Amino acid sequence: MSADTQMNAAAIEENGTPVSTERFLTFSCDGLNIGVSTNYVTEIITDHSVTMIPLVPDYLKGIISMRGQIIPIIDIRLRMGKMPIEYTSTTCIIVLDINDAQIGIIVDAVQQVMDVDQSLIAPVPVENQQELIRGMVSSGNNSVILFLDCEQLIQTY
Amino acid sequence: MDNMLEMYLYETNTLMEQLDELLIEAEKNSDFTTNDVNEIFRIMHTIKGSSAMMEYSTLMEIAHHIEDLFFYIRENGMDSLDESHKNDLFNLMFQSTDALRGEVEKIENDEPLSTNIDPIIANINSFLEKISSGGKNASEGSSAQPEASPAAPAADKDAIAAINQELAGCPDSKLPFFIKILFEVGSGMENLRAFMVVTALTEQDLDFEFYPSDVETNSDTAESIVENGFFVALSSQEDVDKAVRCISDQNSIQSYEVIQNVHAQPAKPAPKAAAHPATKEESASSAVHADTVQKSSPAPAAPAAHNAPVKQSLISVSLSKLDSLVAVVGEIVITESMVTSCPDLQNLKLDNFMKSARQLRKLTDDLQDIAMSLRMVPVSGTFQKMNRVVRDMRKKLNKDVRLTLVGENTEVDKTIVDSISDPIMHIVRNSVDHGIEETREERIAAGKNPQGEVILAATHTGSEVIITITDDGRGMDTEKILAKAERNGILTKPASEYSKKEILGLLMLPGFSTNEEVTEFSGRGVGMDVVKKNVESVGGSISITSEFGQGSCTTLKIPLTMAITDGMEISVGKSLFTIPIANIRQSLKIRNDEVILDAGGNEIVKCLGEFYPIIRVHEFYNIETEKTSIEDGILIWVEAAEKSFCLFVDELLGEQQVVVKPLPSFLNSFNIKNSGIGGCTLLGDGNISLILDIGNLYAAYHSQY
Repeated sequence: MSADTQMNAAAIEENGTPVSTERFLTFSCDGLNIGVSTNYVTEIITDHSVTMIPLVPDYLKGIISMRGQIIPIIDIRLRMGKMPIEYTSTTCIIVLDINDAQIGIIVDAVQQVMDVDQSLIAPVPVENQQELIRGMVSSGNNSVILFLDCEQLIQTY
Repeated sequence: MDNMLEMYLYETNTLMEQLDELLIEAEKNSDFTTNDVNEIFRIMHTIKGSSAMMEYSTLMEIAHHIEDLFFYIRENGMDSLDESHKNDLFNLMFQSTDALRGEVEKIENDEPLSTNIDPIIANINSFLEKISSGGKNASEGSSAQPEASPAAPAADKDAIAAINQELAGCPDSKLPFFIKILFEVGSGMENLRAFMVVTALTEQDLDFEFYPSDVETNSDTAESIVENGFFVALSSQEDVDKAVRCISDQNSIQSYEVIQNVHAQPAKPAPKAAAHPATKEESASSAVHADTVQKSSPAPAAPAAHNAPVKQSLISVSLSKLDSLVAVVGEIVITESMVTSCPDLQNLKLDNFMKSARQLRKLTDDLQDIAMSLRMVPVSGTFQKMNRVVRDMRKKLNKDVRLTLVGENTEVDKTIVDSISDPIMHIVRNSVDHGIEETREERIAAGKNPQGEVILAATHTGSEVIITITDDGRGMDTEKILAKAERNGILTKPASEYSKKEILGLLMLPGFSTNEEVTEFSGRGVGMDVVKKNVESVGGSISITSEFGQGSCTTLKIPLTMAITDGMEISVGKSLFTIPIANIRQSLKIRNDEVILDAGGNEIVKCLGEFYPIIRVHEFYNIETEKTSIEDGILIWVEAAEKSFCLFVDELLGEQQVVVKPLPSFLNSFNIKNSGIGGCTLLGDGNISLILDIGNLYAAYHSQY
């Protein structure tokens, strides 16, 4: 992954200064490629035992302790209403810091870090709108990257 | 500069607190001891010095005048004051400390300092005049000083003997005497310090000249002062004596000497030890110089013996540093167990390794304990402040009230202590103002002790600290409250439908005040609702109980963000829970046939002749476990408030001191608090254990079934 980052950085330098790009970490979730702004990402951890919390929705998997901080963990598949799967060796937790609230999301696998020109991010068509997604961009070879709405993720309702 | 300001504020606030405690204590005995006087003198002196450094002139002025006042008192002893003077003195001191505190607060809030402090200064001065008119002669005498005064008298004689000394570099002046002042090496801003000396001498009404003469405006003079010293020229021996006394009270002065002006007679500096007029002072001040903690104490003025009782071995550390320390220590503990129980080491016989590992474990445990306790501070600081509040009100309202403090040593997280101070003050004021009867006669007629009592108590239970403010006053008249609420139009249903509890709850609605008259202390109707808001903002709750004619009691329940509590670790399936020991009555193993089903099919069990419901934790929380039969697991008989019941769990793991951590606020949206989880704690091996809130668990169980 760090190699990807470097490659991207190199790409920027070659193309000269790009206009208002933002760096995104992409991960896969039920076949979708989803990006989350690296501004929010604190770290990626694997193999962490999650302490379950009773009487909460099933997508809230529980809490973990990271350096003494208690961080709630959400399974992004379940949060987006998809079917649960067994956790595999690629499953990992992305710890996000959203407006000083820390939260971890369980994803199927982390893919890469990439720079995206913000002007290319298009809103999701109304009929396809999905919770937690604030925009999308096509990334060549027929794949689409969706962008996670972090603010909505931590919204209390 | 920010750092300096922080230090200044910390130091000044600490001193003010010391001063307050001292004043309250002294007022109880209605006298100042010699120690007190010296201590106040010292405090004022330090405040004056540091305020001058920071260029807070108003603070400096006030402190300076108080210092003058206590200089006089110190010289003449408390005995020279009669009773009414003492009374005035106490009031004056409280007034002036308030003024000082007001200024400090302005600095803290980055507001401009007040420009008009004349009334306070005038008060102090007129008081000083009043008390000194009787004993003026005593204060003028330069030699006959009481024991409290520093080594100056002894030094004076030496000074006279040594005035033949002259130093190269003495400035040209017609005046016959010089005092050469050297400041402590590296004290910085020598020109300002010199100017402080000048100001102090001016206050003494001395006629003098000083060199370099532009210290106030020209900061370059600092260098020449460092090199050559700062010179004060005086016209008579008498003035020199006064000046010496004044100078010896200044901060950061390494040494000074008196030199007779023999008009431009160049000479080498005299050997200091042989002819130094102020050897005694110098040794004293260099001793202090070495002691960095006490760096601002006026060494010659306050002999070490007087300093001893207040010497603090405290330092201030920023909270964020503490937080990161605690976090790192937590990591260390986890890493330590990761290392020592590393699977690669299994089945290896490593005697030496195990020995060292045990040692490491012991040390990390100690480290953790210490780190955990760092953030905890006793509530006594906040409680002590209430002494002052009650004292002021006693004077103003002329009520005979005493304040009793209970459980001052209860430890609470630092941030919580800060946030509960204001609410407590509000309630204490309310209690004294509204609660306690107006007159002693009224109390005697009600068959009570003529002296009213307000009890401020703190206790620690589970994940909360409970603070109660109880008064034995007239209690709350529910009918009056109701009538008033009706008048103010804050009732939401017919008056007759209100229960007592609801009526008392009305007190905390915005726009309510029971006292007919608005007083200085309370009665604007913004009190209790603000208190309620403040308490709720830190996640606490507030309730009032009252018996008409008997008094009332306000209870604040504040969650501890990081309280240490004794807990029992239990397991259910793979989950770990902690039950606060305070909630546990007993644990029991029972047979299947001891479980009785009640009419609704709920399991109950008989303990000590009474029946209690059983809550199966694994069923309630949907946790998978193999121990579903009552005989396999264990029952824990718990109690919270009036609720008593049994919890069925898999296993007892043992008792442990745990640090309560709040759950992330994100989880609050899932109503986690109401499902019986009060918080969580990190175990030594890095696992998280959820802390059960027994009271809420019972309520949650009943709302579900």
